[in-house]
Amino acid sequence: MKQKLLEIIEYLKKNNVDYADIRYVFTRAESISVRNQLVENITGDESIGFGVRVIYKGAWGFASSSIVNLPSMKKAARMAIEIARASATTINKKAKLTEAEPYIDTYRTPYKEDPFEVPMDDKLNLLITTTQEMKTDKLIKSAEASLNFWKTHKIFASTEGAYIEQDILESGGGFKATAVGSNDVQWRSYPNSHRGDFITGGYEFIRELDFLSHTDRVKEEAVALLKASPCPSTEATIIIGGSQMALQIHESCGHPAELDRVLGTELSFAGGSFLTIDKLGSFRYGSPIVNIVQDATAERGLGSFGYDDEGIKAQRTDVIREGIFTGYLTSRETAPVIGQKSNGCMRADGYNRIPLIRMTNINLEPGEGSLEELISDTKNGYYFDMNKSWSIDDKRLNFQFGVEAAWEIKNGKLRRMLKNPVYTGITPEFWNSCDAIAGKSEWHIWGVPNCGKGEPTQTARVAHGTSPARFHNVKIGVSK
Amino acid sequence: MIGKDKIFSTLNKVIKKSPAEQTEAVFIGNSFGLSRFTNSHIHQNVFESTNKLYFRVAVGKRIGVVSTTSMEKEDLNRALLNAYNIALNQRDNPDFTELPGKAEYRKIKTYYPSTAAYTPMERAKKIKAIFRIAGKHNLNAAGSFSTSETEVAVVNSNGVKAYQPLTSAAINLIVLGDNSSGYAEGLSRDVRKLNFKEITERATQKCLDSVNPMEIPPGKYDVILEPKAVAEIIEWLNYTGFNPKSLDDGSSFLAGHLGKKIMGENVSLYDDAIDDNGIPFPFDFEGVPKRKVYFVKKGIGVGVVHNSLTAHHAGTKSTGHSLTPDASDNAYSFNTFMAAGRNSLNSMISKTEKGILVTRFHYINGFIDTNKAVMTGMTKDGTFLIKNGKINQSIKNLRFTESMVKAFSRVKMISRERQAIDAWWSDIGCIVAPTLLISNFNFSGKTQF
Repeated sequence: MKQKLLEIIEYLKKNNVDYADIRYVFTRAESISVRNQLVENITGDESIGFGVRVIYKGAWGFASSSIVNLPSMKKAARMAIEIARASATTINKKAKLTEAEPYIDTYRTPYKEDPFEVPMDDKLNLLITTTQEMKTDKLIKSAEASLNFWKTHKIFASTEGAYIEQDILESGGGFKATAVGSNDVQWRSYPNSHRGDFITGGYEFIRELDFLSHTDRVKEEAVALLKASPCPSTEATIIIGGSQMALQIHESCGHPAELDRVLGTELSFAGGSFLTIDKLGSFRYGSPIVNIVQDATAERGLGSFGYDDEGIKAQRTDVIREGIFTGYLTSRETAPVIGQKSNGCMRADGYNRIPLIRMTNINLEPGEGSLEELISDTKNGYYFDMNKSWSIDDKRLNFQFGVEAAWEIKNGKLRRMLKNPVYTGITPEFWNSCDAIAGKSEWHIWGVPNCGKGEPTQTARVAHGTSPARFHNVKIGVSK
Repeated sequence: MIGKDKIFSTLNKVIKKSPAEQTEAVFIGNSFGLSRFTNSHIHQNVFESTNKLYFRVAVGKRIGVVSTTSMEKEDLNRALLNAYNIALNQRDNPDFTELPGKAEYRKIKTYYPSTAAYTPMERAKKIKAIFRIAGKHNLNAAGSFSTSETEVAVVNSNGVKAYQPLTSAAINLIVLGDNSSGYAEGLSRDVRKLNFKEITERATQKCLDSVNPMEIPPGKYDVILEPKAVAEIIEWLNYTGFNPKSLDDGSSFLAGHLGKKIMGENVSLYDDAIDDNGIPFPFDFEGVPKRKVYFVKKGIGVGVVHNSLTAHHAGTKSTGHSLTPDASDNAYSFNTFMAAGRNSLNSMISKTEKGILVTRFHYINGFIDTNKAVMTGMTKDGTFLIKNGKINQSIKNLRFTESMVKAFSRVKMISRERQAIDAWWSDIGCIVAPTLLISNFNFSGKTQF
């Protein structure tokens, strides 16, 4: 493969491109879903192909194919140039990339146990038993459990001399119990909603999750929600659990900090951002205890890698420091706009999609103390746990989240459970009301496997390290 | 284009080698070009050529599914063997009886050489014309314009042989000013039928009309939802309500309400893959011919779509709405229609004493309370206050949180005109929606622009 890729790079150079790279990507995926002890799906997928990206006469072109041979690669290279020629008829400024070291390197996700080598029977037995345990209550209408694994081999080569091979392994899973009552449906999930939690790593993570130790609680809470009172509509102090904090960071910190959104190239789909360039380095995003980094080097983070899809080495950079907005997620083309070099956030969804600025691991740094201490330090309030719904405006200001369950906090103790909890706010006002973040013992990096962006739509697997945190004067229970 | 004969021949050869009792092969070959633009230039311009082949095999009642993008002989044989091995390790699926059998398909014209042959340079020319119209008003135009050519084939060991070539062309356009924006889109199988000038002028006019928006308090207002906004709601109803899985697990708003009045008598929602007001397609990914299915008829809950597995589970027949084999646990409506009414947008505006006109929504989410189809989302790209039967003033965007079961019980007027709205599955369908006037729609929040 190396010879073919380098031959295409030479071919592109001979065709006078300003810049070009080629990515070969081979992803093997496995998805297993069980519902009510019935195996709904076991699917294996192999996605093999390459994508050629060029800058020619100052304009971009990209072509990809699932036919991986030299004639197909040359055809795609010519097509990419042809497309760039069309783009060039519209440009008012030539595309330029910031300088980058052309690495020749390899990277491999550290892991202990290859999930593709674990016998299928073991995986099925785990999921079937998990759903069986939850179906012991007749109000549980649907018990679902799933596992997902991806193993990706990708090679990046550029006209600047970079040649990087990476092997990324991603694993995750979870389960959900859905209780049905009279005109009401409620569910609880473990370890997170939306198919669970995910890491870069192997099957050891699935063993650590220890599904069967959590089925009773999940089932009981789903059933209890049917009898719970609705979340009241009021303004309150709320403590948000770690997994919901991950979505909160994702939507209201990660996305607005993507520099391509700020520069307008996502306006037609994902939207823009309120974080205009004049805010860099001075805008008070949150209270002084709020520190957020993008960290593609984080151990086991689902957004961890060796190099991004432009060949930039994985980095850890500040996004928010002591509450002040200090850094965007950037690419080689966008970073010069703010006088910087790329911090390595360009990621593509497979061989056939162009790299875009994507989140890596966008992590909230831990504060102090435990969740228990945070609750006992709260006289009156609510504890919101685990994402159910999410929505935010296209500049990432007005957000509304629903969670699976909430609990009243009275005099520092968790009291009655509440159903259909929703909270809403305006991003900077909300983050400025944060007065406590739990410490390292509560900190966990949550994998989010389904971040959508771009046209054609791309799905990225990203992560957010979080601890539970407390916010004041938050509008809750707005659902009607 | 590979062509029907070559695809059938390749698939039949592989299926004949299958060690499984029953084998199905689904082929999707796609050539897709897309140009994205903003700030008066194309910033992303891509082409992808992807072949994808799914094998679904059955050993008794045990099913295995594997997909691959490689069409190399040895890779196909390996994929088929992998599917067989998965099936051997599977558990029995009580809902599986057999793969669907041979069927006849309605002949539908879904392929236009004009779209298939469209070049990146032709896309660039159309986009430059958009820049010229928006530029006359010093406005920014952002959007995407795509053209694609696809072949879909389904072959199985029970005699199914289905093939359909198709093309698709879509444009979405946001025209932006300093504090305003406007939206318009177009969708057709034939790129020549997209009226770029009209689309650009519509988005430009919306942008010009929505300058200097004022803030109004959230609350309950009569609302006029244009087709894009209605389609975005229907897309979520599809996801949470009109499929067999959500009906079976009780999370659909239809659960427990089939045969009962749940919406206004003027509301009918249905799937019709043959109606050429949409993006027709004759069969599903099991090779079963599409049937028209009502979800809600004159306000009464009727049913959901099915594939062969979910149909067996529900004690009925497949309606021809299977997804690809990797998602065979559920079925989906790809050609969703809301029945037209007798009114016009102008008559709706003139009948509204105080209300809000919504061009489209952003980021709707329908997981809040699926049983009541409660959704939330933000308005976007042209939101206006109506007073005394006239559009009075553009307003800053609002958040809605509303039960769509309740909202669709309060529909006062429905437009005669409907629009085909692009969705993520627009190669094989779309959502066809009218404009609606709904009373007392709940706007629960506001934003700063």
